[in-house]
Amino acid sequence: MSNLASRGDLQRWAPLLVLVALIVFFTLVNPNFLSLKNFARISISATPPLMVAIGATFIIIMGSIDLSMEGSVAVCAVIFATLFTALGGTLGGWGWVALPACLIVGAICGLVTGTVHVGLRIPSFMASLSMGFVGIGLSLMMTGGDRIRVEDPLFRSLLTQRFLGFPLMVHVAFAVLLAAWFIQRKTTLGRNFYAVGGGEELAHASGLNVRRVRIAGFALAGVFYAFGALFAVAQLGIAETATGYNFMFVSITSIVVGGTALWGGSGGVWNTLVGVLIVNVINNGMIVMGLPRYVQDGVLGLLVIIAVVLSTDRKSLAFVK
Amino acid sequence: MNLHSLKKHFPWMTLVALTLFVGILDPNFLRLDNLIALAGDISTLFIMALGITFVIYIGSIDLSAQSVANMITVLATLFLAQLGWFAAPVCIAIGALFGLVSGYVSNRLKVPSFIATLAVGGIALSVGQYASGQKALYMDAGLRNEAFGWIIGTTAGLPREMIIAFVLLVVALIIERRTVLGRALQAIGAGEPAAIASGLRVNRYKMIAFAISGAFAAMAGLIFAVKLSGGSPVMANGFLLPAIVAVLVGGTPLTGGVGGVLNTFIGALIVAVIRTSMLYLNVPPTAQQIFFGLVLVGAIALTIDRSKVRTVK
Amino acid sequence: MFELRKVEKNFPNVRALKAIDFEIRRGEIVGLVGENGAGKSTLMKVIYGAYQHDGGEVLIDGKAVRFENPRQAMQKGIGMVFQEQSLIPNLSVMENIFLGFEQQFVKLGVVNWKKMAAAARYQLAKVKLDIDPKTITSKLSFAQRQLVELAKVLTLEERVDGELVILLDEPTSVLAKEEVELLFKLVRELRSRAAFIFVSHRLDEVLELADRIYVMKDGEVVDHVSSAEASAENIQHKMVGRDISKEYYREEKQLAYDADRVLVELEKATLPGHYQDISFQLHAGEVLALVGTEGSGREAILRTIFGLQKLVLGTVTIKGCKVESFSAEAGVASGVGYIPRERKIEGIVGGMNVYENITLSQMSHYSRFGFLRIGDEKATARDWISKLSIKASSELADCGNLSGGNQQKVVLAKWRSGGSDIILLDHPTRGLDIGAKEDVYEMVRAMNADGVGIILIADTLEEAIGLSHTILVIKDGAIQKRFEGSPGAKPSLFDLVHYMI
Repeated sequence: MSNLASRGDLQRWAPLLVLVALIVFFTLVNPNFLSLKNFARISISATPPLMVAIGATFIIIMGSIDLSMEGSVAVCAVIFATLFTALGGTLGGWGWVALPACLIVGAICGLVTGTVHVGLRIPSFMASLSMGFVGIGLSLMMTGGDRIRVEDPLFRSLLTQRFLGFPLMVHVAFAVLLAAWFIQRKTTLGRNFYAVGGGEELAHASGLNVRRVRIAGFALAGVFYAFGALFAVAQLGIAETATGYNFMFVSITSIVVGGTALWGGSGGVWNTLVGVLIVNVINNGMIVMGLPRYVQDGVLGLLVIIAVVLSTDRKSLAFVK
Repeated sequence: MNLHSLKKHFPWMTLVALTLFVGILDPNFLRLDNLIALAGDISTLFIMALGITFVIYIGSIDLSAQSVANMITVLATLFLAQLGWFAAPVCIAIGALFGLVSGYVSNRLKVPSFIATLAVGGIALSVGQYASGQKALYMDAGLRNEAFGWIIGTTAGLPREMIIAFVLLVVALIIERRTVLGRALQAIGAGEPAAIASGLRVNRYKMIAFAISGAFAAMAGLIFAVKLSGGSPVMANGFLLPAIVAVLVGGTPLTGGVGGVLNTFIGALIVAVIRTSMLYLNVPPTAQQIFFGLVLVGAIALTIDRSKVRTVK
Repeated sequence: MFELRKVEKNFPNVRALKAIDFEIRRGEIVGLVGENGAGKSTLMKVIYGAYQHDGGEVLIDGKAVRFENPRQAMQKGIGMVFQEQSLIPNLSVMENIFLGFEQQFVKLGVVNWKKMAAAARYQLAKVKLDIDPKTITSKLSFAQRQLVELAKVLTLEERVDGELVILLDEPTSVLAKEEVELLFKLVRELRSRAAFIFVSHRLDEVLELADRIYVMKDGEVVDHVSSAEASAENIQHKMVGRDISKEYYREEKQLAYDADRVLVELEKATLPGHYQDISFQLHAGEVLALVGTEGSGREAILRTIFGLQKLVLGTVTIKGCKVESFSAEAGVASGVGYIPRERKIEGIVGGMNVYENITLSQMSHYSRFGFLRIGDEKATARDWISKLSIKASSELADCGNLSGGNQQKVVLAKWRSGGSDIILLDHPTRGLDIGAKEDVYEMVRAMNADGVGIILIADTLEEAIGLSHTILVIKDGAIQKRFEGSPGAKPSLFDLVHYMI
């Protein structure tokens, strides 16, 4: 029993240890790595994926998966930018309305994906992949393939204004993370995600409305994707279909690397924070070491395989499709 | 005749109905040369879908096909200069190898196939970007014609790609219907526990299915590269969605076990007709993505065998 | 207070419960015993609402009720402590206790953990379990989890007005001896809070704990005694008591086996958690029956011989060769054929036709360079269709559409046509009608005559006795007793039951 516990504990802390080890390693290779400036850089690049990954974390805890984030982020970014521009293009005026509107759009995207998945009873990976394609198509149609510029200095101050050495968006993102933690820890919905992931049939037998929990999970995830879209737009000053590019791979990798098992029922938003940091530290470290950026996808690919393999109790699995 | 037995005939009935519908909109659509051009255009996509069929048939999925094809366009362009026609078998072997890795990761390491193939696809993408230096590459026209001239052009009025696709269909059909491998895959798709309890080497056959998918994706990439006389790591983007749609609307469900390569043939034609009809109806190309996404959802929902998925996650 | 009157439950082709009369009074502990398949679990499912009865009445305090699902039964005070764990392992103990009923601790969507923990502590005190309710359930021992389940059911006390009836389904199967004692002590104390229905295949335990005992057989209550007057022997007789027809099991065709040809030999075979120290020999022409209750380890022994489960200690020798690598491929290659209990899942591939199913295990015999010789396959299939008189329109018929008996014949043809001479039969007659059963018995004798060795896990004890040359009684994963069963000198049902439970 004690052996089991220690193995469990090791698995629990392994992601954090890996993160620390990576930081030590890159610092040894290049001392410039360990500087406030570089950390600020890492945190900026980590912010949008963190938001997206937090949303997807809830879905993975339920044992489902969401692959629609690229589409959802693109739609949120484009609608936000369009609305923002139409409302005067500045947060000082009516432009602020675009912020909550964007979050609502995200929730709607998630609601649609969740309803398709639960209502038509098709596996979430295919339902969300399809709806992701639809989202990308939608954003393309709205922009006609063009970029929308968002140059309001007040909005961009999320990136430009610094507080304690980190841009404002990092602080806002941290607040969102805390909110996600609150949902995970303190609300019925958050706990129900764990119940569904830990034993869907048992949860159902105990009277839980599993279908409603699932749909709510997707809608909630959509809100976090919208946050990711906002930060991504603030970072680049541009909203386009490509704003969503690569979020799917990075966020799923981060989640599993952080120790939230693909089978559901374990992990949480703090794991995801660690996972996102691992992925971004590796990216940043590779650049500091002078490795080309495009190796990233390959490294992520290996990372996700290793993380899933390590987190799998293979004896308990009969079939994997 | 009940709905269940009717379901088998849905795909071709859909194809006929769609073709008639477009034909009524514009009788020119039904002209032979137009239909041939239509089939020619879909060939590359069809070849990729053929490979994916084997994976979906055993109840898994391959999301790496597009990335593998992308990578192969780059590698084919690079290898052509050094290896000449021999670049073709090398490229196909590399594709099969990537498929084999996906198969190993998903079957031996027990990583769900959609994640395994997504990850392997990421690796393929990296290789493509690395090999190309992140720019578009061009084939030397002389070399290309010497080594792969037979891929382009027409024979008896038929585009060569279409003939190649047809030959590959026959090959796939023979694998499916006449070989031990095909029978084993059928058993795995229709009833994996029984296949295991009959002493079949289920894991090995499943890995081979992924390798076939990789090899077909490589062939699609190769033909595409020759056709466009070059390669780039984003060249085959936009292939994955219609390829999977072709498999599913053809009547091979996500849960596997029924359908097969002939179904995918019909599915690919349905995709081709839909694409063309959108041109006739003046639907902007950007809307195609939305439409195919929705078609995919519909096709999955209609064909999936819900008795095989106890809880839908 | 809780009563069943002439309750009936029918499934297609099976009358699972026949006019059951059952009653439980306040604070009583009622035992329920019977062989596998006697109808115990069906009866329990009717009581806790998983099945709906289709005849007779279910009465609570004299009023007829009907439960559409377990939740409705719970609202009437009927709770079930499951044999297989029904707690969600990754949640805390308190979350499990109140799963589905959290609303009382929630304000504006936010859970008040302190309040829930206090309430959980109150419930845990009822079962005398002193653990932190915030503990993650997977960290508890099996015994502790069982008590948590009991505590979860006992929350009904505060939630419903009437009396509680709690079903305990084989609660002792995962417990050590001391833990069983503790559980029994607790159940006796809890009588003030609830009445209990105790289901177990360990007769001694039922006699110890229960006030009254219902004995079931073939979907009927055959006896109803107070445990003060009951004797184990009497109950065992009631549980089995049937005459065996010699013709039915083709005893006249039972030949002596060839004691010189050993096909399979197990020596001190052990698979922790399933069976230990199993040694026996199977000879050519022999039927060896493994007899025991559900979960006694019989299935695991069969699956080890076929190669689906790996041995941990000891050896398995097939035809003189020690088995080194356990896999179904290796098993098939050395001539072992497995006829699984889950015929539709592991036996045949539905959606594939008869010849494809028959050659599935031996495609290498029908192929050259990986290409199949379909003509030969069909010929073989036609041959076996007539040999076993399989009722199929042709070798092209979909096996999924055949009747159960014919599916079983196809599975048998698969192994026999491939030359398997060690056949493992796991409940070969389950779900078959009488005629199809007799066909299976015929085939068993025919295979014996051909020198095939058979290991049998029979559907009923009579079947095991009637068909076998040798019977091994297995209990808790160990061989209890070996019986010889030559015609005319077969052991009685009672002999076997005595060692089984």
